[in-house]
Formats: sequence, C-alpha cells, structure tokens
Amino acid sequence: MPVQSMLLLTILTEAVLEDTLIDEIVDLGARGYTITDARGRGTHGVRSGKWTVGGNIRIEVVGDAALCARIVERLQSGYEKDYGLLMFTTPVELQN
Amino acid sequence: MSFEPVVLFFVLGVAAGLLRSDLKIPGAIYEALSIYILLAIGLKGGVELAKYPIGDLIGKGLIIVAVGALIPLVAFPILRYLGRMSRADSASIAAHYGSVSVVTFSVGITLLGQEMVDYEGYLIVFLVLLEMPALVIGVILARYGAGSVRWGKLLHEVFFGKSIYLLAGGLVIGYFAGPEGIKPLDKVFFDLFKGVLALFLLEMGLVASLRIAALREYGAFLAGFAVFMPILSAILGTVTGWALGLSVGGTFLLATLFASASYIAAPAAMRIAVPEANPALSIGASLGMTFPFNIFLGIPIYLWMSRFIHGG
Repeated sequence: MPVQSMLLLTILTEAVLEDTLIDEIVDLGARGYTITDARGRGTHGVRSGKWTVGGNIRIEVVGDAALCARIVERLQSGYEKDYGLLMFTTPVELQN
Repeated sequence: MSFEPVVLFFVLGVAAGLLRSDLKIPGAIYEALSIYILLAIGLKGGVELAKYPIGDLIGKGLIIVAVGALIPLVAFPILRYLGRMSRADSASIAAHYGSVSVVTFSVGITLLGQEMVDYEGYLIVFLVLLEMPALVIGVILARYGAGSVRWGKLLHEVFFGKSIYLLAGGLVIGYFAGPEGIKPLDKVFFDLFKGVLALFLLEMGLVASLRIAALREYGAFLAGFAVFMPILSAILGTVTGWALGLSVGGTFLLATLFASASYIAAPAAMRIAVPEANPALSIGASLGMTFPFNIFLGIPIYLWMSRFIHGG
C-alpha cells in the first residue's frame, strides 16, 4: 500500500468536554480518534489535572484536509468562546 | 467546642501545597478514594433507610427538598445585586451553594460518632435529593429569558455523573441488603471509613491550597459570601430540622447539608450547562473558602446551634 499523506489534527481542551466533542467528531465523519489526559498552562491558567474539572485532554484525529477543516470549524463556532481550546494540524504520512 | 481530629489531614494537605512539597496523590488513587467514600456513605444511608417506613418519610422529604431549593434562590440575588457579578457567574455560584458536599457531611457524621450523638440515618438520602433541584435552578437562573441549554447533557451529568450514581447505587444496595446482609461488607465500608476520609482530606487540602490563591484575586465580597452563605443556610436547616421534629443529631446534619457547597458534581454540571460562568470563582469560593470554613468552624457551630434550639 502506498504511503498516504494525511493531516493529524490535535485538539487540546477541557476534560469535561470529552463526551460532547467525541460525539461531534464522529458525527463529522472521523473514523477514529485517540484521547490522552493532559496538563499544562495556557490562557485559561494552569490546568493541573488534579481535579476532574481542572484536567485537560488531548484528542488526536488523523484525516484528510476536508475532515480536519470541518472539525475545526464546528469546534470554533461551538466551544472556543467559553472553553479552553487549542487546535493545530501536522502533516503526517500514513504508513499502514 | 467540639473538634474532629480528622480535619487536621486537610491542614497537612494545604501546608504541603503552600510549601510546594512534592507530595502528590496520584489521580487513580484519588478516583478510588472518592468512589469508596460515595459508596460507603450510600450504603450507610441505605441500611438506615431500611429501618424506617418509607411512607412516613415522604412528607418530611418534600419539605426538606423544597426548603433546600430556596438556598440558590436566596444566594442568586445576593451575588447578582450586592456583589454585582454577571448573571452566569451568580447563577453558577448559587447552584454550587444549593448543592451539597459529601465530604463535609462525612466530617459531620464522624463528629457525631465521636460525641456519641444519635441521628436519623435516612438524612443521607438528601445528599442525593438536594443535588438536582439546585443544579436545575442554577441553570434556569443563568438562562432566564436568553440562550439555549444543553438539557440532555446536563440531566445526564446530574443523574449519571459518578457522585449521584454511586450514592444512589449504594443507597439501593444498602436498603435491600439491610443491617444483617451488609455485615460481610462492614469491615471494608464502615470500619475503614475514617481512615479513607483522612486520606481524601489530605488530597482536598492539596487542591484547596491552589484555590485559596485564586480566590484572593476576586476580592473580599466573594470571600465574605463564602462564609456568610453557609451560616445563613445552616440557620435555615436548623430551624427546618427542629420544626420537623428531628433529633439534635439530625437537625445538625440537616444544617450541615444546607451549609455545604458542592465542589465535585456541581462544577462539572455547571461547566457543561453554563459554560460562560468562570469556574475559578465558584470552585474558589466553595472549595477554597466554604469547605475549610465548614469543617473547622461551621460544623462545631452548627452542632451548638442544634443543641441550642433543642434547649440543651
């Protein structure tokens, strides 16, 4: 199988949003995702991960540019205003 | 004044946080401790509930829930008009104060055990029943006339969030098992309770030490509210308990329930339902100020109030 060029979309956001965002992402057509717990510091202060409401998650989705654009647009309009949210894409080459 | 030494673990945690000790309770252990506490309290309540005919309790229960629902309705205008806070913040904080704290209640129960005061065990049921009206009222206050609410998500969080789910589950299991059936579980769930509570308070102290610093930024009004509101609610609880004919211990527990503010269930529910409210304000007030106030000063005061109103 030839190497496929795709985008890796990484979303850093609040742990309380996990279920809600997964519904959105699957609804937009993502076939899979990976979630890890995260902590750190940003414009919403230190997110220590020491308390359920104080924790962050990192959601990673691999997909084509159109899918990533749909997800970014949906999350921007629905969540960026009130929640800590950082999204970026990295080009990746799918090996299998 | 009555004093429960288990609260010293909270001080130990706060000191560790302020002194930047590398002490850290791993997240998985914290989760396990909270699951244990919720289940143990639920089981205890269920076993006690089995001793009373449920029909007799419905009337009292409705009155307690109705009076409890007044708390967010009183807190909201204080925050909104006296404190000049935004509608969303006022509503979210009001919901936190209307909602209840399992750990504060547990400290109250251990104090009664130490002082050998009896209480109506079925009051544990109100840990479950008082949660929902407060959160729903908070959301309605925030949204009155404007904006949409993710009701589905909110109600799911209220009913199936781990705290209510485990408390209610423990209640049902305890109720059906009864005092005899629960005996094999006694050692784990009842005998070890105080030790686990001590560990949990240590972790809460660590977390609270971060919140106390945050609260400083938001000024004297919120700090004053975080002390004034629980006292007001406790007076309401004391009078209600006394009027309903509860014992000294029961009246004290009802006052403690009313006085306590949530910092586990309510923050998660409010973050979903009222996202524009600043969680640092509500958690800072309830965990950084009201929780320590309640376990150190509030609880002994509420016990004194209950004894006073019963004329002892």
